[in-house]
Amino acid sequence: MTAQPRSAVAAALALLGMLVLLGACQRPQGGVTSNVAPAAASTDGDKVAAVPLGDVAGVAGSTYTETIRNPFTGDPQAIAQGRQMFVSMNCAGCHGYDAKGGMGPNLTDRYWRYNGVPVSVYKSIYEGRPQGMPAWNPSLPPQVIWKLVAYIESLGGTAPAGAYEASLRGDRPGDNVAPEAQSTSTQPASAGKDSATDATDATAAASPPQARPDAGGKP
Amino acid sequence: MSAEQEPVLAFDPRIEIDAARSRTAFGAFGRIRLCCLLIATCVHGTTSWAGAASTGTQPAAPPAHALPTADFAPGDPAGEWRSQARDYANTRYSPLRAIDTGNVARLRTAWSFSDGTQNGHEAAPLVLGDTMYLVTPYPNLAYALDLSKPGAPIKWSYAPAPTPVAIGKACCDTVNRGGAYANGKIIYNLLDAHTVAVDAATGHEVWRTRMGDATRGETMTMAPFVVGNKVYVGNSGGEMGAWGWLAALDVDTGKELWRAYSTGTDRQVRIGTDFKPYYSWMQGKDLGETSWPAGMSKTGSGAVWAWISYDPELNLIYYGTSNPGPRVPTQRPGYNLWTSAVFARDATTGMAKWAYQFTPHDQWDYDGVNENILLDIIFDGKPRKVLVHFDRNAFAYTIDRTNGEVLLAAPFAYQNWSSGIDLESGMPEVVPEMQPKPGVKLPNVCPPDIGGKDWQPSAFSPRTGLVYAGIFNICMDLTDHPQSYIPGTPYDGMEMKRYPAPGGNWGEFMAWDPVAGKKVWSHKERFMTMSGALATAGDLVFYGTADGWFRALDARTGAVLWSQKLGSGVIGQPMTYIGPDKRQYVAVYSGVGGAAMVSSSMPGFPPRGSTLYVFSLEGDSPHGGEGELETRGGAPAARSDHGMGGKP
Repeated sequence: MTAQPRSAVAAALALLGMLVLLGACQRPQGGVTSNVAPAAASTDGDKVAAVPLGDVAGVAGSTYTETIRNPFTGDPQAIAQGRQMFVSMNCAGCHGYDAKGGMGPNLTDRYWRYNGVPVSVYKSIYEGRPQGMPAWNPSLPPQVIWKLVAYIESLGGTAPAGAYEASLRGDRPGDNVAPEAQSTSTQPASAGKDSATDATDATAAASPPQARPDAGGKP
Repeated sequence: MSAEQEPVLAFDPRIEIDAARSRTAFGAFGRIRLCCLLIATCVHGTTSWAGAASTGTQPAAPPAHALPTADFAPGDPAGEWRSQARDYANTRYSPLRAIDTGNVARLRTAWSFSDGTQNGHEAAPLVLGDTMYLVTPYPNLAYALDLSKPGAPIKWSYAPAPTPVAIGKACCDTVNRGGAYANGKIIYNLLDAHTVAVDAATGHEVWRTRMGDATRGETMTMAPFVVGNKVYVGNSGGEMGAWGWLAALDVDTGKELWRAYSTGTDRQVRIGTDFKPYYSWMQGKDLGETSWPAGMSKTGSGAVWAWISYDPELNLIYYGTSNPGPRVPTQRPGYNLWTSAVFARDATTGMAKWAYQFTPHDQWDYDGVNENILLDIIFDGKPRKVLVHFDRNAFAYTIDRTNGEVLLAAPFAYQNWSSGIDLESGMPEVVPEMQPKPGVKLPNVCPPDIGGKDWQPSAFSPRTGLVYAGIFNICMDLTDHPQSYIPGTPYDGMEMKRYPAPGGNWGEFMAWDPVAGKKVWSHKERFMTMSGALATAGDLVFYGTADGWFRALDARTGAVLWSQKLGSGVIGQPMTYIGPDKRQYVAVYSGVGGAAMVSSSMPGFPPRGSTLYVFSLEGDSPHGGEGELETRGGAPAARSDHGMGGKP
């Protein structure tokens, strides 16, 4: 009975030690893009910092947001590891063990204060957000952040990769779009077939809309 | 207007004393005031208060002993409400009785005020003269309302703009438990761990003191407590590993005079040679350090986030400390002193006089922060100065407040973690099966983390000798997950599912006999009863429910005499005052949030709100009725959207 807790604590401490080492190994390469390890984030890594935090003034949109994908999306092993990190790195303390919110926002619904595509969720974890979300750079290496994102994606509330602008506009897969509104949309063409498939999956897996999108809640 | 005009009974304290001299039917309050004001060496509790029963209404179960009494110092004017608990003893008792058991059914809304903020409203308004003062949840606005003009226009508003970082560091909603008036200032705490003083006349900030670091999980939600030229404040952050403390600031400058930590060395805890805990297991050097694994005491919490009481005769303040951190007990073997405990400290120096740990090595998040009501009772034939405390652990304690001896400890709510408190040792007997093990789901632990009662303060009436409290009937399934300490993130580890205990009701409102240690009556509520209680000389007790019913009960029988459904749930604290028009009003905030959100998936659970409701007989007031009424003068509302959606 006592062996399990001890090993769990040991594992958590070992993991923490590893993370600190990994964080320390990262060499700054200018800006905040440096910690995206090429192996994990593939060729998109350097572009993460260029993903805008909000919408883009004066132009149709950011092309980066359509090409950056989570290398671990849908990977069951990565999702399980992401879940493990979600609990051991105290994410669950704020967002809830069911990720349905508490001190921090619900991560299973479609309400995303800072956009719900995987790269935006990555940025929220990496850089932090102003209402109490800490920046996990450099405590967590990019691979771990992407696994956390994979876990959050698996909960069904995120927007599919490539649907950055749709998420900004508040579009949801399957919604009607008025003809007049459609003419301003650049999303369908650029999002492509792949994104449409993701959208269908997301619709199936999503939790019902929440009536209460507030961050505050449980003790 | 009502056909039957109710004569208005405004209580001028000067009249009161005369009335107490001449009218035996006046009841206990007048006699106590007379006693306190005119007889300096008065010994409380030695008189049998026949006056309390002389109103003609017989209690359902009259206490067999002499009725408890209280010192109502500082003796604020009867029609005012200058601090959250109204008096040092934390009775939340008002001597007003124009609204009583006979007419309360005619209570109606007189006017209301929305402060525009949406999170849990846990405060009571203050009233001084013809001004009402409000303090809101984050972004912690303050309002002064002019009660003398139609519509109670805003005299001034104050927007301190606390950092939004604090929003995500507050464990249990971005609540605030209100302000205190002192020396021309309204003093209150900001969520981002600052204390501010605002000029009560102008709304201008007089001073602002940073007390902690919000980025490291330290927030402040409690109401300051003032005695003389000192204001006492403490921190929140028991779920974030914030090192708990109580500090005294100078009322006029905001300068910190001393700070007493809840854990650490004797020096840090302000323990000296004067410290004499009653029980041997709490005696020894540096126990706040040595009852922890090495290096863990300073992330061990013991936050001070609720109420403080004061005994002027002993010059002692009393307050409780929060759960230990992390909440996973297997990570911190030891008693974890001085968490989940009560401290008695010298009000001047802050040096500890005694302490008592309610829940040693707390394994269930049973904070000891709930209010301590200071009463004078006859116990076993002897007068005793006691404090009465309903702990989160579901036991009600009557403790000798001069030395920390537990006279009585009896469960007041459904619980299964302990078979009782051993009065010889002061130790709870823990049921072994109720101790959680990491990673193993432990079903049906009662009460859950939020306790048999949370911070919502109880009230005492000297007319009945009873204490009135909103309590819970809740259990949890608990799974512990060991945690690492990462500053600014939860140091928590309790995964919980909460549900009602046997009976199916989440809440209950009860009258408690603090001498016999028994419930006298209780009223079950489907929803959580998480509002403060108010007792009045009209033999009424007021409270609200999480689904928004505000009720008045007969203090003696528990009969529900009046209810009204408000816009949101009630977790605020009701209070009563006399307006400039000499009418008695009852006021309460409606704005659900805080820990009441654990029941937010219940059918019928209300949306959030931001409205203060004010009631009078027939709803009469200068703020409604015939004639050309309009708002004149005052100031515009504060922008309430700092960090709440008004700007990025």
